[in-house]
This record gives sequence, C-alpha cells and structure tokens, in this order.
Amino acid sequence: MTTIHHHDAPPRKLRIAWAKTAILLGMGVYFSWLIISGNLSNYINQRFAWLAVVGAAIFILLALVNVYSNLQRADDDCHEHFQIGWDILLIVALPLILALLIPSRSLGIEAVNGGISLSPVGVASPSAFQRDPLDRNILDWLREFDRAASPAAFNGTAADVTGFVYREPAFAEDSFMISRFTMSCCVADAFPIGMPVSASDASHFEAGVWVRAQGELKAADFGGDVMPVLFADSIEAVDEPRQPYLYP
Amino acid sequence: MATMRVAAKKSPGLSAFKPLILALLLVFFLAATGYEAISSGIDYALVIGVFATRFLGIFVEAAPFLLLGSITAGLIEAFVKADDIWRLVPRNRLAATVMGAFLGLAFPVCECGVVPVTRRLFNKGLPVSLGVAFLLGAPFMNPIVFASTYIAFGFGPVFIGRIVITILVAVTVGLVIGTFAKPSATLKPLAQEQDHGHEHHAPASARAKLLHALQIAADEFFEMGRFLILGSALAALMQTLVPQESLLALGTGSVLSVLFMQVLAYILSVCSTVDSFLALAFVNTFTTGAIVSFLSFGPMVDIKSTLMFTGVFRPRIVLYLILLPFMLNLLAGVLLNLALGY
Repeated sequence: MTTIHHHDAPPRKLRIAWAKTAILLGMGVYFSWLIISGNLSNYINQRFAWLAVVGAAIFILLALVNVYSNLQRADDDCHEHFQIGWDILLIVALPLILALLIPSRSLGIEAVNGGISLSPVGVASPSAFQRDPLDRNILDWLREFDRAASPAAFNGTAADVTGFVYREPAFAEDSFMISRFTMSCCVADAFPIGMPVSASDASHFEAGVWVRAQGELKAADFGGDVMPVLFADSIEAVDEPRQPYLYP
Repeated sequence: MATMRVAAKKSPGLSAFKPLILALLLVFFLAATGYEAISSGIDYALVIGVFATRFLGIFVEAAPFLLLGSITAGLIEAFVKADDIWRLVPRNRLAATVMGAFLGLAFPVCECGVVPVTRRLFNKGLPVSLGVAFLLGAPFMNPIVFASTYIAFGFGPVFIGRIVITILVAVTVGLVIGTFAKPSATLKPLAQEQDHGHEHHAPASARAKLLHALQIAADEFFEMGRFLILGSALAALMQTLVPQESLLALGTGSVLSVLFMQVLAYILSVCSTVDSFLALAFVNTFTTGAIVSFLSFGPMVDIKSTLMFTGVFRPRIVLYLILLPFMLNLLAGVLLNLALGY
C-alpha cells in the first residue's frame, strides 16, 4: 500500500484536487442560482424545490471539506481508491458548461415531439373539481371534459386559460390548440396537453407564442371529433408565466 | 462463502479509457443530431436549447439523490466494519438474497443513490447475491416509492403486481448471478477490494472519520456522477429526437405493449420516486401488464444506471443485469396480461 502514495506526482494531483473543488463549488453556486433566480421552475416541479436546496447545501459542504483537505495535504491519500483524471472532471463539468453557454429556458413549442394530447395527465384531488370555472387551467379543463357525460355539458361556461399556441397543418384557419407542458417530477416526464380554441383572429397568433384566451365553451367539431371548444372573445399575447408547467 | 473475500487486484486496462469512449460517443450523437436537424430544416439552436433543458432538468432532479447516496456510501466506508456485515448477513444464500430485496426498507435510496451504496457494501464484503437483489429491489422497495405508487394507483393490481414482480425478479437475478458467477468475475477490482488494509490506517476520532466520509462522498460523486451525467445526456437526446407519438402506436397487444413499455422505461430513465405519475399518462393507452412492467423494470435498469453499473460490475455481468431483469419482467408482464384477459 505504501507505494501508492508516491506514484503520482504531487503537483498534478494537487491541480486535480483543486479542479475537483472548483467543480463542486461551481455546482453549489449553480444550484443556489437556480433557486434564487427562479429558473429552477424551468427544470423541476416546484414541489421538489427542497431537493435542490439539499443539493446546493451538500455541494457546498463537500467543496469546503475539499478546500480544507487540499490545504492540509494530510497523508490521507491511501484512502483514495480512485484516481480522478481530467477526462472525468470534464464530463462532470458538462452540466456547468451547458448552463453557462445556453440561456435557461423552459420547454416550449420546439419541444413538442409528436403531437399534443387532449387527455388529462395524473390523478386529480377532489378539490380540483371544486375550482371556480374561471380559475381552471388547461389541465383542470381536460379533467372536467374527461369525466363529463357529454361534450355539450359545458356549453355556455366561461373559461379563461393561458398557454402557448400550437398548430397542425390540418387545423382550420380560425383555430389552434392552447397548450402547456405538464410536469410531475422534472422535464424528463414533461408531457404536452392542450385544448382547442376557435376565434376569428386566431391566425394572428404565431405558433409558440404565449397567449391568454377568454371566452365560452361550446361543443363543436375539432379534427373530426365533437368536443368542448373554447370560442374566444379575446386573445391577448402574454409573457411566459413564472411557472411555465402545470403540475398534475 | 470464503471465495467472497478475494485479494485486491489492480487492472487499469480498458476501464481508464471508458469515460473517454463514452464522451466520444456523445459527441458523435450530438453531431448526428445536428446533421439531422439541419438537413430536415429544423433550427439547430432550438434543438440544442431543448436538449439542454431536458439534460439539465434530469441532472438537477437526480443530482441531490446521487449526493445523498454518495454521503451514505461515505458513511458506510468510514463507520461500518466488514465484520458487522458478516455478522448480520444470513449464511443461507436464499435467505441472504431475500434480505437483499427488502434491504431498501432500511436504506431508502432511489436508483441514482443505490449504486454507490451497493459498491461500498460490496467493498465491505457483502455477498454478491444479496448486493444484486438490493441493487435491483431497493429503488422500488422503499417507503417513499410505496407511497407514490399508492397515491397514483391505489391498492390494486398495479400496486400489488409491482411489489410481487420486483421481489421475484430481484431475488431470481440475485441468485443467478450469485450462484453462477465467481465474485472475481463479477465485480470490478475497485468494488471488490476488501478493506483489511484500512483497518490499520482508519482515522480514530469520530470527527476525523466524518471528514473521511465526506471526502469519500466527494470522490463517489465524481466517479458515479460521470455515468449519471452521460446517462442523462443520452436520455435527453433520445427524448428530444424520438417522437413519442410514433412509439405510442405500438401500445396495444399483450406482448408488444409490455415490450414497448420496458424499452420506454429504459430510455426515459425517470426517477423511481415519480415514475408512477408518469405511468398514469399511459394507463388509457396501454395494458395493465405493460404498466406494471414499466414500473418494475424502470427502477431496476435504465440508461443512467446501466452506465453506473459499468463502474461496479464487469461488462459481462452488466449485460446480464440488463437482460435478465428485462426478460423476467417481460414474462411477468405478459403473464399478468393473460391472467387479466387482455
């Protein structure tokens, strides 16, 4: 065991040790920044935000321990089973490199990969069904549609929803789907859902733009099926919401 | 059982280049993505943006679990003695393996945290069959995942099926690998290294031990983190490129649906704590057997855990660790479908 101590030149070993410390600290700073800037909601469900706090705290703790042991240069090396090289450091730094180079964004229309679902996602708590119709979001509405006896059950009900515009070539000129991504955990399970909107000025809004649509629901034909369609009196372009995803 | 204690061996060999090879593969995939995006007229920058969001999302969600697993691994390394393990583990292999499948109830870890913990336990002389059963069972067999599955599906065929199939598959694969593979041919030298030598060097005071545990945890994060990061990148890439709709068309049929959902579980690499909520999205499209197989196979093996396995097991065993659970889950899912009359 004693020969292992010396087979690596100390300066290289120390450089790697400091690079390791820098990456750990960088991760801690990155996680903290995600939490403080609110950009964390681009990546994970707010319900799990505490996990990122735990992550940031552990990264910083490990970084401090490494600073301490780098300065001490204690004769502890025989416990290091594993020689970390520059290739591994580079791979582990990959998230930091991407985070620095590419501006933080939520999943939008570019991430829709094969259509938007008209079915709800996840299980609703009973209280979700007691929400005032004007407070219901797209997911709430899809749940209501799913359990209603007939699409005509909502005729005349007022609705006010926010989402991004999604179009397919087959859609009529005066219609689009107003859509959101749902997210149970993180973007790995993000799933696009949407409801049909019909309005005379529908074609003024480009695909991918965030809009707020207000109007009344009425059963109508959409893509060959009769379903509740939001006939919008007013559509206005809005900023992306602070929490872009809907949480089932 | 004496064969479990094998002399430590260093073999740098190919393993030193593996991360580099994986990184090259990743670059190749990225280049291929870029080419496809440009040739089909999609904005390259947007595709990269979506990839970055998906990749960072998976990493940000998984990293805290890996860190908690690394700290547990560090604490095991610093505080648990090999003798303790030998005292607690049943001598009978079947009993030990069954214990492994339930060990997650004592160490609540998900699939990102289970690999470093298992590796350190192996290092302390844990029997292979027990370790493998723990590795495959623990990501589901823990209180948190029980709760999330129950919330999503209630007490029904999915919940019961998931428990029964997970235990059966974990114990079977644990027994097969523990019985037919020699430990020296199973574990990579690092994981199989015994800690006799350390008993003498081990720091004495509790404070020094804790410091040592945290240093081990940091090393563990780098060693396992590289696989997690490459795995997250691959999973993000697949999600960005493969249209979900084209996959969903395969959703019916008692055999094909199970096969498909297992491939999906492997590709998506969603954390076991929340995969139940994801599976709910498929309930209307897929057979019950397919849903159960998705839930029992997904936590055992996926892209990121496969890469992490390569840091612990020899390549041939990693292959078995993917194929055996895949086949057994497939069989169980199909049988469940037949029993339920799909």
